[in-house]
Amino acid sequence: MAPLLQVEASSKRFGGLLANRDVSLAIEPGEIVGLIGPNGAGKTTLFNCITGYMHPDEGRIVFDAGDITHTRPERICRLGVARTWQVVRAFGRMTALENVVCGALQRTNRIAEARARARELLDFTDLRGRDDAPAATLTLADKKRLEIARALATQPKLLLLDEAMSGLTPMETAAAVQLVRRIHAELNVTICVVEHVMEVVMPLSHRVIVLDYGVKIADGTPEAIVRDEQVIRAYLGERRAAR
Amino acid sequence: MARIALIIGALAAILYPIPLQLQGTTYYQTVGFLVLLTAMLGVGWNVIGGWAGQFDFGPQVFFAVGAYTSALLYVKLGVDAWLGLPVAAAAAALICAVLTYPLTRLRGHYFAISTVAIWMIAQPIGATWDYIGAAQGLFIPVKPRSGVVTSALSLQFAGRTKALGYYYAALALFAVTLALMAWVERSKLGFYFRAIRDDQEAAEGIGIDSRLYKVIARSITAAVFGAAGVLYAFWALSVFPEQVLELNWSTLPIMATVVGGIGRLWGPLLGAIILIPISQIMSTTLGTGPLAGRGIDLIVYGLIIVVIAAFRPTGLLSLPWSHWFRRGRAATA
Repeated sequence: MAPLLQVEASSKRFGGLLANRDVSLAIEPGEIVGLIGPNGAGKTTLFNCITGYMHPDEGRIVFDAGDITHTRPERICRLGVARTWQVVRAFGRMTALENVVCGALQRTNRIAEARARARELLDFTDLRGRDDAPAATLTLADKKRLEIARALATQPKLLLLDEAMSGLTPMETAAAVQLVRRIHAELNVTICVVEHVMEVVMPLSHRVIVLDYGVKIADGTPEAIVRDEQVIRAYLGERRAAR
Repeated sequence: MARIALIIGALAAILYPIPLQLQGTTYYQTVGFLVLLTAMLGVGWNVIGGWAGQFDFGPQVFFAVGAYTSALLYVKLGVDAWLGLPVAAAAAALICAVLTYPLTRLRGHYFAISTVAIWMIAQPIGATWDYIGAAQGLFIPVKPRSGVVTSALSLQFAGRTKALGYYYAALALFAVTLALMAWVERSKLGFYFRAIRDDQEAAEGIGIDSRLYKVIARSITAAVFGAAGVLYAFWALSVFPEQVLELNWSTLPIMATVVGGIGRLWGPLLGAIILIPISQIMSTTLGTGPLAGRGIDLIVYGLIIVVIAAFRPTGLLSLPWSHWFRRGRAATA
């Protein structure tokens, strides 16, 4: 089976900083892939390149057998990639329902149909009862759920979650992990999660990819990753690795 | 509740000029005409400024496009105003789309500045282009009309019923504009415009082409300005650059929108009802007599706007009216 997403030797440079260097990876349909790495490892840059907010200086990105290396974000969304943001970007002055309606309008022009779909997704993401609340008034955890609902409304094949769990309480984090599992199981969406909290990614992911200083240093099952010398060095430093 | 308010408001708007006509004080009909014209422009500006959140300080260019288009059609081809109006609105929207597409690469202040720049470029073009009469502009001759129906059909009113006729023409155009914009607000366009306003990157992430929808928003604004320009041209009986490209054609509707409630459908009407009569009263009281010619009326007018803006930056419609109303009703019950 051809991979759903293929990144081929992608490099992205900001002035003198090489944020991504020769990053290659593939995501198969039906996977949950964790993308981890210390702060500044280039995870969000890679996300931005995949979703069209930036374009790699070198390399190629292929989604669903089509080249999207230089495609604009709105076009990539229509092809079936949706994302959430590290710093939440809800439509603050619109209600929670209207936020999700905007996403649903990607697949229908009828407002009534978009509303019905949006209601279902607010139920699915446990935001029931918050329909008419202005998005700016929601808690951080609810805003993150709202972003997920809005992204799901565009009916993606691949969902990219950029630190959907950071800044949450342990209970909220557990609920978010549960939500990701349900999206994968019930909506048949392939998922890639960026996190720097290992405890979240390891039990959730089928496969984990590790970035460090813009370079992919490991790619394998969670069990293999936690024992990987290079990964331990990247996260914990030389002394721990030597032990 | 809202329906009753709408019916009362509509009745008041329809009946308003009649006692004035009987008294012969047509000046107040003209004030009403200016209120409705400003409100119509404000409702149009709300699309780009209020919903799409892009500050457009150059929509008067499209007011001029509308006025010139209809005047040219009338003077050169003998096309009546109502037939010229859709052509003028379409011309304004089309020219706006072509001019705005490159501007949508710019954001925030830079977009605002570029809209002003286009207005500045339009001024010398209007003042030097011979085909449209250059600085002298075009004069619209009044053809002799007999009866109310033919006057209304040709949008040419003269004599004792001039102010009355244009008041109702403005009311009709305002009502149509409001109804169309109410539909736009509830459609996919309305959702997409507000999404871009609240967060352009997030909007693109859910598949919204931000540049395309900004162009559509501004073109809708331009169509409304173009249609209003037709009404104004036939009221003023002339079109010349210094008049239709005046900065006031953007600042007054923008101020009315902000004072009434930016991004709210009825905001511009409320703002226009407050601001236009105040400016008229100021100029007829403080602008005459011993203080005449010193601009005292404009200073006081400006201060009133500053006070309202400072007191309620989100506009008067954003005050908790329904809450107060319910409490008031409970108290009387």
